[in-house]
Amino acid sequence: MRGKRFLFVSLVMVALSSLLAACGPKPAEGPVKGGTFIFGRGGDSVQLDPAIVTDGESFRVTGQCLEPLYQYEPGTTKPIPALATECTPNANATEWTCKLRQNVKFHDGTPFNADAVIFNFERWRFTNHPYHFASQVFEYYEAMWGGFDDDSIITKVEKIDDYTIKFYLNAPLAPFLANLAMDMFAISSPEAIKKCGEKYGTPECGCVGTGPFIFKEWVPDDHITVVANDNYWGGRPYVDQIVWKVIKDDSARFLALKAGEIHALEQATAEDVAAAEKDPNLYIMARPALNTAYLAFNYKIKEFQDKRVREAVAHAINRKAIVENFYGKYGEVATNFLPPMVWGHNPDIQDWTYDPELSKKLLAEAGFPNGLSEVTIAEDLKDQEGNVVYHAGDKIPLRLYYMPVTRFYYPNPKGIAEAMAADLNKAGIRVTLELAGDWPTYLGLRRTGLLVGLYMLGWGGDNGDPDNFHGYFFGGLSSPDDVIQPRAREGWYANQEVAKLCYQALVNPNMAEREKMYKQIEQILHDDVARIWIAHNNTPLIFSKKVHGYQPQPVGADYYEWVYLTP
Amino acid sequence: MRGGCGALPYPPRVGKGVALFRYIIRRLLALIPTLLGVTVVVFLLMRLIPGDPAVAMLGEHATEENVARIREQLGLNRPMFLDAEALRQGDLKRFVDSQYIRFLGRLLRGDLGDSIHYRRPITTDIAQRFPATVELALAAMLIAVAVGIPAGIASAARRNSLLDAVSMVGSLAGVSMPIFWLGLMEIMLFAVYLKWLPIGGRLDSALHLRTITGLYLVDSLLTGNLSAFWDVLKRLILPAAALATGPMAIIARMTRSSMLEVLQQDYVRTARAKGLAERTVLFRHALRNALLPVVTIVGLQTGTLLAGAVLTETIFAWPGIGSWIYSGIVGRDYPVVQGGTLLIALCFVLLNLIVDVSYAFLDPRIHYE
Repeated sequence: MRGKRFLFVSLVMVALSSLLAACGPKPAEGPVKGGTFIFGRGGDSVQLDPAIVTDGESFRVTGQCLEPLYQYEPGTTKPIPALATECTPNANATEWTCKLRQNVKFHDGTPFNADAVIFNFERWRFTNHPYHFASQVFEYYEAMWGGFDDDSIITKVEKIDDYTIKFYLNAPLAPFLANLAMDMFAISSPEAIKKCGEKYGTPECGCVGTGPFIFKEWVPDDHITVVANDNYWGGRPYVDQIVWKVIKDDSARFLALKAGEIHALEQATAEDVAAAEKDPNLYIMARPALNTAYLAFNYKIKEFQDKRVREAVAHAINRKAIVENFYGKYGEVATNFLPPMVWGHNPDIQDWTYDPELSKKLLAEAGFPNGLSEVTIAEDLKDQEGNVVYHAGDKIPLRLYYMPVTRFYYPNPKGIAEAMAADLNKAGIRVTLELAGDWPTYLGLRRTGLLVGLYMLGWGGDNGDPDNFHGYFFGGLSSPDDVIQPRAREGWYANQEVAKLCYQALVNPNMAEREKMYKQIEQILHDDVARIWIAHNNTPLIFSKKVHGYQPQPVGADYYEWVYLTP
Repeated sequence: MRGGCGALPYPPRVGKGVALFRYIIRRLLALIPTLLGVTVVVFLLMRLIPGDPAVAMLGEHATEENVARIREQLGLNRPMFLDAEALRQGDLKRFVDSQYIRFLGRLLRGDLGDSIHYRRPITTDIAQRFPATVELALAAMLIAVAVGIPAGIASAARRNSLLDAVSMVGSLAGVSMPIFWLGLMEIMLFAVYLKWLPIGGRLDSALHLRTITGLYLVDSLLTGNLSAFWDVLKRLILPAAALATGPMAIIARMTRSSMLEVLQQDYVRTARAKGLAERTVLFRHALRNALLPVVTIVGLQTGTLLAGAVLTETIFAWPGIGSWIYSGIVGRDYPVVQGGTLLIALCFVLLNLIVDVSYAFLDPRIHYE
């Protein structure tokens, strides 16, 4: 299937190259076979069992060796068949029948069939499954399929015949195919899992799937090597091997690319990207943005409970200048939580203008004619152990917490925070920049709602479905009549109307109706100034001009089988 | 430090060998409380740093339920040292069921636990990474000693000469130079522009080496794999040179000052008066006495290098123990930090012991009791 899609993929890539500032060289001859493609990266994989990890560096590798039933169309987030040739729902979308690809073998020679798929799904779902080890966290199964055991939305996976299975769901799940296509639901060889047990996915055992590349070796913190699968059902990849080499230092990684020791890299500094743009031996492609950087309010601050204050903050920040200065041509100003490439993005939203005078006016209306530099804790705030850290009525300086690490959605958190603080100051909102600690500390404080002020964070989508953005943060209902308070995932913000819409969209198989609902959610969030969306970042990847055919994916593993090298 | 703990400058009551043996045994026994102390301090310090390992592991996606489950799985819901509440209830089993006691229990069985982040046994990671660190540290120390001591001797012998000035300014620069800058400059020059040496890593991924000791240079020689030996050697040069700069400068300065002190001694004056060649005076009479403080410095510096050179390892993609422990601290991977720190403490204590014992060989007047 992958092989047959080659022409289509090529066309998509040509179109994308113009859209995404891709400028890969175009060799006169066709694809060249052979060679080792070396990709430099800033960190090692955690594990090569995709079901139990959440880090992108693991999926970067497992995505080449293992395949899910569905995958994402190259360059987009649209689910298309992979190990399943088709999945069709019943009338109310509570049963999905999937036809499986035939004559496919795992790398260990065992057959891919209905039993293998059922083994994988049951292993992920049942906590008493002999290969669902207590030491492992099947976090994504729980997150995407509602929970384990009886909480799972998938109540049964039935074998109809060797190459047909049927999923039974306890409620319709609109993003069913988008979920199936996620890297973490790639199918592993049951025999390999049985053989390795808890060590499946470790450097000793690696991973065994049906993908275009076969795991060869993993030297921790050094490199992982996979070799081409000669018997790949979609056709043998062009390169003989892929090596992912760990070079933690960004500058050293770029120098390794310049020296020709690696062929490509991701996570480059702004200076290195600028240098690469001028280097005749290098070129840049951008990964389509499926992320949003935002500034969150802590709603346990009394002043932020007044929408006029939130609006004042929104109008005070010059997001266009921030994008120009910190993201360059790879960034775009965010007007929605959903990036433009995700359906459900609402282009009709009237974005907040940069208008410090309007901010001052709004602040004055809210009772702060002299600006804002101090805020009030609205109710007691407790730490993880239950100790009260802030008491109701406490006055604290207005803080802007910035992230201690660079993330793909915030390429320079401190610089951006300083720019925001300067903008806010012009509107009379005098913030104190605060570094709460290192990354685990920052996330821990965020989780307990103790980032008491404005704070920076972002979100990268997992499957391209709008529910993965809206549902995670603003959902939380289990039925339309559910009166339970919706999840307050970020800064204690919860909105019953949005939660209800999230639920309705989640269970509605009609795509057009869902799209309308997500647009409505965006409008409500905007009108409520729930958070301030700052930017979407098309993260740059730098390549040697010897590399051709690379396809950066907005979500899911990049496609390497069409990569080839020229001398 | 000179003479070491227990070193006595008078004749022993028992045979020299027996005294030395007893001394070593005593020092080794002293290891136990020292290392226990280290575990307590590290345990306490790691848990005083804000930030939850479960949150660090789960990232931005962390949900309350998952964090709680992971905390329970990792035993982080138990008290750090002892459960006072359980004692009040008369539940002795729960009283001692603490994070620290669990850790000690595993430690006694030779199990340092599993990495929270990588979910691999700590002993496996140490077995892979520590030889890399040892190889880099020894190579760096070899360079540092090979350059530092001769430079120090030459400076002392030609005090206030141009050679002395160049050597001392060079060593000052060596101490002051930021290693990340030096490393990147080395890469720029030797890897990017001259293309003489590779940028980093221990071995080309295309080459294969059967590991025996984990020290790739040694293993490539033992297995007769000369292409691997050459590749490993080339990859070792830049990081070892960068890492050697600091210790080299310190050793050169220490050698110089120690030599200058010794060269002013009466016996050196006597040797010169007797008409001995300057070379003989320097190397046979002065150097051996001047080396005692240098050996101390070499021992301590080697300990520091074995503790891992985070920056060098990061820049040169060297999979050693320093960057591993650093990642452990950042990711709140308690078992990694505990296991790594314990190993480093052990190295330091053993190196100090070796340094102390070496005094007896350098200076026959020193005896142990």
